Amino acid sequence: MIWLTWRQHRMQVLVGAAVLAAIASFLLLTGFGIASSFRTTGLAGCLATPGRDCTLVSALFNKRFSGLQFTIPLFLVLPALIGVFWGAPLVAREVEQGTHRLAWTQGVTRLRWINTKVAAMGAATLAGAAALAWLTSWWSLPFVRASDDRFSRGVFDLRGVVPVGYALFALAVGVAVGTLVRRTVPAMAATLGSYAVVRGVVEFWIRPHFAGPRTVSYGFFGSNPRSGLGDWVLSTRTVDGAGHVLARGQVLDINLLSHRCPSIVLKGEFPFNQTAVQACIRRIGLHLEATYQPGNRYWTFQGIEAAVFVALSVGLLALSVWWVRRRVA
Amino acid sequence: MTAAVIAAGLGKQYRDYWALRDCSLEIPEGRVAALVGPNGAGKTTLLHMLTGLLRPTAGQVSLLGRTPGDDSGLLPHIGFVAQDVPVYRSFTVAEHLEFGRRMNKRWDGDLARARVERAGIDLGQRAGSLSGGQRAQVALALALAKRPDLLLLDEPLASLDPLARREFLQALMEGVVEGGHTVVLSSHLIADLERVCDHLIVLSASRTQVAGDIEDLLGSHRILTGPRREVGRVAGVAAIVQETHTDRQTTLFVRTNGPIHDPAWSVQEVGLEELVLAYLGQPNATALPRPRLANTGTEVSR
Repeated sequence: MIWLTWRQHRMQVLVGAAVLAAIASFLLLTGFGIASSFRTTGLAGCLATPGRDCTLVSALFNKRFSGLQFTIPLFLVLPALIGVFWGAPLVAREVEQGTHRLAWTQGVTRLRWINTKVAAMGAATLAGAAALAWLTSWWSLPFVRASDDRFSRGVFDLRGVVPVGYALFALAVGVAVGTLVRRTVPAMAATLGSYAVVRGVVEFWIRPHFAGPRTVSYGFFGSNPRSGLGDWVLSTRTVDGAGHVLARGQVLDINLLSHRCPSIVLKGEFPFNQTAVQACIRRIGLHLEATYQPGNRYWTFQGIEAAVFVALSVGLLALSVWWVRRRVA
Repeated sequence: MTAAVIAAGLGKQYRDYWALRDCSLEIPEGRVAALVGPNGAGKTTLLHMLTGLLRPTAGQVSLLGRTPGDDSGLLPHIGFVAQDVPVYRSFTVAEHLEFGRRMNKRWDGDLARARVERAGIDLGQRAGSLSGGQRAQVALALALAKRPDLLLLDEPLASLDPLARREFLQALMEGVVEGGHTVVLSSHLIADLERVCDHLIVLSASRTQVAGDIEDLLGSHRILTGPRREVGRVAGVAAIVQETHTDRQTTLFVRTNGPIHDPAWSVQEVGLEELVLAYLGQPNATALPRPRLANTGTEVSR
């Protein structure tokens, strides 16, 4: 059965390995340069010194490597390709070409047939994804430290353990969709769509709620006391002293304010009386409130997100195995 | 007599139609059985349920005393050549033999190789570039090399030219003589079957219409011709399968239960093709052995 799996999927596996090798060489070639210029520009030293403002050095550093931005969409798409080219054809091509009638009437039961194939391709996926995720994490570390941001979209998704979960999930979606659809090309398209939808839903609607967010309040003209701690700021609101939300974000709405403090626009002056505005802000207690996930929850979030996708994968693969055993023919 | 295949009330329902319904049949061990019927009669569905590829919606099926699909011990005992003879197009012929070796505990590699070589097929050739006849030969070699007790073939002749058909049947007969398998062969090329089969099952409108050894069936059917008349009882006739009249002549296709001596009729023996066509033309007529499901332990369920 191992022989058959290798014989049937060696092309896909070899192409996958070649792509992986190409990306790995690219990361290694550029990665050492990035790491060394992180030190030589003084950014590493600056960041290591508490209280120093590294905005400028950091901006220069980021500008120097802004040509590498394209890697983010590339790495975001990569797991989906596993689903499209490894997962979707696994059962679909067999059924489409009728060869399942050959394979499933040999001495090997189809339970073993599907289990072996899924296990082998699953193991290859895990190995490849783990290697690439580790390499990407190393490669992007200077950028993450420069921007002090591991949580934002497009960064969180490419580092740590979640890429391994995504890759496994993509494979599982491919296998399941291929088993249900039974035609290779439609299954490939549906795999891509389903993967993108689930990833999007988790990313935008579920991930922010993995743990209860915290709230911090600070003065309207002050800076967020949590800045520089690697937090994931979910939202900022402009709030008055009574706790009424006046606007999303940091917004100074003079019209709104003039209802509360008529003195601001009484004389119809322009520009407005700055002192009056300041006084009004103080009087009604205008301030900012931000909800955020603390930076030290990073690995908890990585773990939860990876677990969600691994659980989904296991469910989908179990469904595929059941479906192959009971329904397909 | 033990039965290699027993089906009782077997049915397969897809969303809105029955591909096979209430099919009961029994194929004795050691027979080469022809499974005949019009397109859509459910031959492929029946064979897929026998191999365990499909699960019955209704009824029960037993092969060599085992239940297909549930009993994984059955697979090594059956050889199957599916319709349109699927092969892995990118595999070479040699890789197909390797596939057979790896996928089967019981595997006669010498036999497979010998069969393929005797058919003049190059082992290094890709299966995708084989002719229909060669592909069928490779598939047959794979099925025979399992040394199966039961060999099931689904329309293996359909896409073959007459020469390839003859060679395939020749190879099949050699394999059967060597291996002593029970064979079920579905086809609608009746003339070809007559040379190799000794048992006949006619499936029409998803039911078993005729079942029996071909020798007995041919022996118990006659064509009677005589001047045109109203047909009454004829001594020796058990049932009239088909009755046709021209202006001057009446022709009867009958099942007999004794010799026919009535001088008013001229009596002719029948061929397999005539027999099959006569029954297929009269879907309500049947020629079935008495049910013996009771002593097989198989219950009929609806």
